[in-house]
Amino acid sequence: MSLQVTLKILRSRPHQEQRYDTFDVTVPDAANVLDAIEQAWAHHDRDLMFRHACHHASCGTCAVRINGREKLPCIAPVKDYDGGEIKIEPLRNFPIVGDLVVDVAPFFQNQEASDFIITRPTENELDGKAIAHTQGLDPESAPTVPFNRFENCVECGICLSACPTMSADYKFFGPAGLAAIKRQLDKTTDANEREKLLHLADDEHGVWRCHSAWECTEACPQSVFPAESIMALRKEINAQRFKKFFRL
Amino acid sequence: MNLYRPELKRFRFLRWFDFRSWRLGMLAYILNRVTAIGLVVYLYLHLAVLFLLAQGPSGWDPFIQIARTPWFLMLDVILLAGLLIHGLNGLRVALTGFGYGVRSQKPLFIALMIFAAIVLAVGVFKMFMG
Repeated sequence: MSLQVTLKILRSRPHQEQRYDTFDVTVPDAANVLDAIEQAWAHHDRDLMFRHACHHASCGTCAVRINGREKLPCIAPVKDYDGGEIKIEPLRNFPIVGDLVVDVAPFFQNQEASDFIITRPTENELDGKAIAHTQGLDPESAPTVPFNRFENCVECGICLSACPTMSADYKFFGPAGLAAIKRQLDKTTDANEREKLLHLADDEHGVWRCHSAWECTEACPQSVFPAESIMALRKEINAQRFKKFFRL
Repeated sequence: MNLYRPELKRFRFLRWFDFRSWRLGMLAYILNRVTAIGLVVYLYLHLAVLFLLAQGPSGWDPFIQIARTPWFLMLDVILLAGLLIHGLNGLRVALTGFGYGVRSQKPLFIALMIFAAIVLAVGVFKMFMG
């Protein structure tokens, strides 16, 4: 079985007028939107700029807006948009390089500011359960084989695109950057390091700039809950101020 | 107008009203901003109306006659709705902002808006029937 879909893609190049191009493509009914974009590139326009890598939502590279909402097209089934035109636009709040490709440098700069690393510390358990209980693992060897787990955040930039505050304030540290600070904070008990991280978040363009639209958490394809991290940071900062004020 | 053109920075706020992205949290966000602007406009109107007091009964009494008309009372209904939405949603934002009820922000918004609707209904009844 195959599906006929019409893609309406925002085209742009530096110093050129933006326009929408439409492409009629045929894809298998199990195809995702990224497959349809690839069809458009392969059969209609080799100049079409888009970015992708893993095809299974672990790299976050392909993030775009599909019919106005931020999505990873590699896991967005075409049949979910059955019968209608699929409008594809680049992520918002990033400089556009061309077509669907945006410059994600500001995103990674903010991640780096908190010394964010992509793996968690070595773990002996999985979500609170000893890894020996995990199906397929040898119970004998499991306790002696701790593992490094990747963070849930795939660094797709969707949260920055969905954030309305980001639209109004490009200096805003952004949901992903603030969530990275929270994760770093959770990893350390060192007072100086915690002070440094909270100082980074406690800024006019930090946690206080968030106006609680919750779009980052809603749009996140990996259930990272960046908005909750922002609120948790505020709580920590308030607790710190309270303690300082009352000299506790 | 294409809002994705990076050079159109002064129109970025229009993205708030890009309804394709609206979810409940975003709706609450937009409602809070619209009601805030409405309440600021009301504040200045209120000051202008109070200025009529300085003109004595000749200025004030005709205004009171207008203020009792159903059309004017409708403005009071809008004002009350704005106050309730902004105030109660503000309470939600403050609570979640301090880390309380973060996971319940959606049900909290729905519950507070139902409460606002009930208070508004009582207010409308009092205004028009009381």
